[in-house]
Amino acid sequence: MTYWTIFLAAEAAAETTTEGGLFDINATLPLMALQFLILMAVLNSLFYKPLGKAIDQRSDYVRNSLKDARELKEKSEMLAAQYEKELRDVRRQSQDIIAKAKAEAEKISATKIQAAQQEVAAQKQKAADEIEAQKAEAMKSLEQQVDSLSNQILEKLLGAELVG
Amino acid sequence: MEILNNFNSLAPFPLASLEVGKHFYWEIGGLKLHGQVFLASWFVIAILVIAALLGSRNIQRIPSGMQNFMEYVLDFIRGLAKDQIGEKEYRDWVPFVGTLFLFIFVSNWSGALVPWKLIQIPDSELAAPTNDINTTVALALLTSAAYFYAGIRKKGLGYFAGYLEPTPILAPFKVLEDFTKPLSLSFRLFGNILADELVVAVLVLLVPLFVPLPLMVLGLFLSAIQALIFATLAAAYIGEALEEHHE
Repeated sequence: MTYWTIFLAAEAAAETTTEGGLFDINATLPLMALQFLILMAVLNSLFYKPLGKAIDQRSDYVRNSLKDARELKEKSEMLAAQYEKELRDVRRQSQDIIAKAKAEAEKISATKIQAAQQEVAAQKQKAADEIEAQKAEAMKSLEQQVDSLSNQILEKLLGAELVG
Repeated sequence: MEILNNFNSLAPFPLASLEVGKHFYWEIGGLKLHGQVFLASWFVIAILVIAALLGSRNIQRIPSGMQNFMEYVLDFIRGLAKDQIGEKEYRDWVPFVGTLFLFIFVSNWSGALVPWKLIQIPDSELAAPTNDINTTVALALLTSAAYFYAGIRKKGLGYFAGYLEPTPILAPFKVLEDFTKPLSLSFRLFGNILADELVVAVLVLLVPLFVPLPLMVLGLFLSAIQALIFATLAAAYIGEALEEHHE
């Protein structure tokens, strides 16, 4: 505690002297201001300008790079969209072709089936005709045989003179 | 003076004697200068110039090391100026605001971190340059000059018409403000730094070990804040002078 009072007293003593004290303003002030201005000029050429330029250039570079990248991205997206569209077209075309080919094939097969059926029907007809003819022939020969057999039976029963 | 002499002879700790308001005088052409302030400020200036040199010696697009650090510093200063002055005109004022901040910041921290006591100079002791009223008044007056210059360069003498807005009744207060601004700027900085150093010195005088440490840390924080306040206020004043008044 005593030091405090002594300190305050010392301060008071210092202030009462003609020279010195806390609020002793003299030529230090303008020289300090001058010194500060010189420091400002020196730091401006050594620090603020070069580094500021570097920072600005870097931000320009980053901005340009970003812009380029964005443009490239847009371009690539456009290309991708175009490719997709082309792909879709091609797919549709191929489907068309497939459908057409399928239809054609069906037509061909239908005509062929029809032709085959007609042929089969014709052959069936022919066979039936043949069977019919053979049947008629068989009938005819059978009739002849029946006639001759009945003649023979008559001959046997009545005798040849009566029949002939 | 007698009390002072008694005090010096009574002081039991030569390590922690207090010296307030004593200056190491230089005389140049009949002008008196505070030598200790200049010595300390040269040290501060040397640190700043060396840091700037190291930062901008070999500028790369992808920064590393010192360039990275200095770019961070510059970014901080630019942000400060931009916030107060505005996107459009802050660039011209980056050197002024930035140098204010850097000089005050390094000065304050040099006062707290550099063991100045180890260097003996006659009649006084080395300390932060900002604990001398001359330095802070010089900086504050430069700030005043800067905002007047900013306003007059932009609006010509029409700048003074801004004193009459929004109402001429307030003009005297605005004129008064031009005096209180540098006064408050300089005394805030001077008072804070000197008080911080005195508090630490007194505590060291009373309890030389460990106890003053938290106060020293607080002092570092306070020193940084004071530098920021000074630079921010200077930028704000400049921004205010550049502001368009018509709605």
